[in-house]
Amino acid sequence: MKMRIRGTIAALAVAVALMGLLTACSQQQSGPSESQAVSLNETGSSLLYPLFNLWVPVYTQANPGVKITTQSTGSGTGISQSIEGIVQIGASDAYISDAQMKQHPEMLNIPLAISMQMVNYNLPGLNGQHLKLSGPVLAGIYEGKIRTWDDAAIRKLNPGVHLPHHAIVPVHRSDGSGDTFIFTQYLAFSTPAWAKSLNYGTTVSWPAVPGGLGAVGNPGMITAAKDNPYSIAYIGSSYQDAIQKAGLGIAMIENHDGNFVLPEASTAGAAAAVMVPKTPKDQRISLIFAPGHDSYPIINYEYALVSSKQPSADMAAALRKFFTWAISQDGGNAPHFMEAVHFVPLPDAVAKLSADQISEIQ
Amino acid sequence: MNFRRFTALLASVVAIVLVVIVVFLAAYAWPAVRLNGFHFLIDNSWNLGRQYGTPITVHGQEILPGAHYGILFLIAGTLLSTAIALAIAVPVGVGAALFLAEGVPPIMRSWLSFFVELLAAIPSVVFGLWGYVVVIPFLGHHLFPFMIKWLGFIPFFGGTPGSGYGLLTSGLVLTLMIVPLITATLRDALVSQPASLREAAVALGASRFETMWTVLMPAVRRVLIGSSILATGRALGETMAVLMVSGNALNILPNNIYQPISTMASFIVSQLDSAMQDPTGMAVRSLAEVALVLCLISIMVNGLARVLLYYEGRQAARIA
Repeated sequence: MKMRIRGTIAALAVAVALMGLLTACSQQQSGPSESQAVSLNETGSSLLYPLFNLWVPVYTQANPGVKITTQSTGSGTGISQSIEGIVQIGASDAYISDAQMKQHPEMLNIPLAISMQMVNYNLPGLNGQHLKLSGPVLAGIYEGKIRTWDDAAIRKLNPGVHLPHHAIVPVHRSDGSGDTFIFTQYLAFSTPAWAKSLNYGTTVSWPAVPGGLGAVGNPGMITAAKDNPYSIAYIGSSYQDAIQKAGLGIAMIENHDGNFVLPEASTAGAAAAVMVPKTPKDQRISLIFAPGHDSYPIINYEYALVSSKQPSADMAAALRKFFTWAISQDGGNAPHFMEAVHFVPLPDAVAKLSADQISEIQ
Repeated sequence: MNFRRFTALLASVVAIVLVVIVVFLAAYAWPAVRLNGFHFLIDNSWNLGRQYGTPITVHGQEILPGAHYGILFLIAGTLLSTAIALAIAVPVGVGAALFLAEGVPPIMRSWLSFFVELLAAIPSVVFGLWGYVVVIPFLGHHLFPFMIKWLGFIPFFGGTPGSGYGLLTSGLVLTLMIVPLITATLRDALVSQPASLREAAVALGASRFETMWTVLMPAVRRVLIGSSILATGRALGETMAVLMVSGNALNILPNNIYQPISTMASFIVSQLDSAMQDPTGMAVRSLAEVALVLCLISIMVNGLARVLLYYEGRQAARIA
């Protein structure tokens, strides 16, 4: 009997504690609207994540009424969770497809900056040199047709370089990824056979290459490339410092005009200058494989995916204010932010289009 | 309501939930089952199609152009990694259980058993992280090249060592997760065997080892089978740990034990986001079909266990 009473008391105590916890939680949830604090959740692109990480502390310090959480989960997650309304801001290196836009016409694709992508390799002894690689050669490597580093196709692009006779380890993203989207777009635009077979997407059916690896997120790609000599990987420019720390090589990539160029602010800017005038009002456009002598072939808009129909006016206003700051030259597009992640600021014409879209968030 | 009715109600809730889940899964996956047909199980081609293309209609179903779903590599990866884990975990688990039950002084026994049970309580993602950070570099750079050098003549043990991510690594991480299950259950069964069994064996002149091997082990054979089946179930369905160490191979069968693989459970997690971007929804339905196949395999394994235990029970009865 004594035991039973004690048990009842214990159960009651637990119940009271739980009730207390629940009320505390619900108070916290109702709290922000009373004190006018708005909480914005961002998730998606691991390429954009380092920039958000720089932005958020600066912005929230100047705007204490807003709380912003950021997560690096991959553009695939950014797209799906923003469409589902789980997060307010989906970060993505890829714009939403036509078919998905038809189903969700309320979604906006707002460029916040221009990024580029590197092709990196871990070739013992050669990482200090910039190997030259072309779209068809990269497609051959990822298709498993070019299997060793001293393959004739690679040698032809790199005369005089002593390439090892060792199997290539191609590393691809196994999560839904905007980096995969822009990389496969480069392969599809430069190599007709790839366009016919695999085309492009945030996930493609990677051909089975013995020894090939899947990795999650840009940090996962760096780890995989670092841990596996003779590997090759595609990694966003916001990880350029990490790449240099890991001692990986950065390839010169063949552009539309047949020149081999390095991912630099000048080459990315040259490509952007060609593509900016072609940007439509909804800003869903690929910047990949831009013509021009110096154009770097793999650049892209970094998108914030946002619904134009927000549940509350407060939320909409907070989003508009944050994005307006983000694309401004004195705000998020300021040189010190852009240089830290090796991005290119939005050209004025594109910033204006982004501003038009931002004003649609209601 | 009396106690009996109340418990009957609780028990039926469990059964109903199980049935509802399977029925829901089957109904949701049905369009995919019809589209993919039998090829789903024997093709090595998981292809979501062109995400940015215009959906087309095949057999009355809207899908993305180029979409094709075949999961042989997942079935192979799941069964092979589980088989490796069982092949290592059963002998190790039996050895550990015998040691804990018969070989150590009683004071140490409770402490060591406590640690085994603690090992069983570690969340799988911790195993995965540990595998990712510690085990993979060691295996890929040291153990695998060593194994290829000395064991390479055995089929599937030779070839290229790869990166450390892959079939054997998954199997080893799974082994660590299921050994404590087998050990803990078997140890309890061994300890609870009547002392008279041991006394009788010793009286007949049996050595300590003979007592264990010929008297105690047969007595707990049913427990061993039962716990191994439970362990198999856990290994088949393990998600996070395998996701982190398997290498996430796509559309390829491993040609040696070091190659990357994927398992059904981990594949569902890793592909869900990409699948959600399929505007036709067929990709998610096909993932549901993967879940359905995994469910069926688990049910078959459990069924097999029942059959084994049934025959084992009859045999035991006959001997008695």
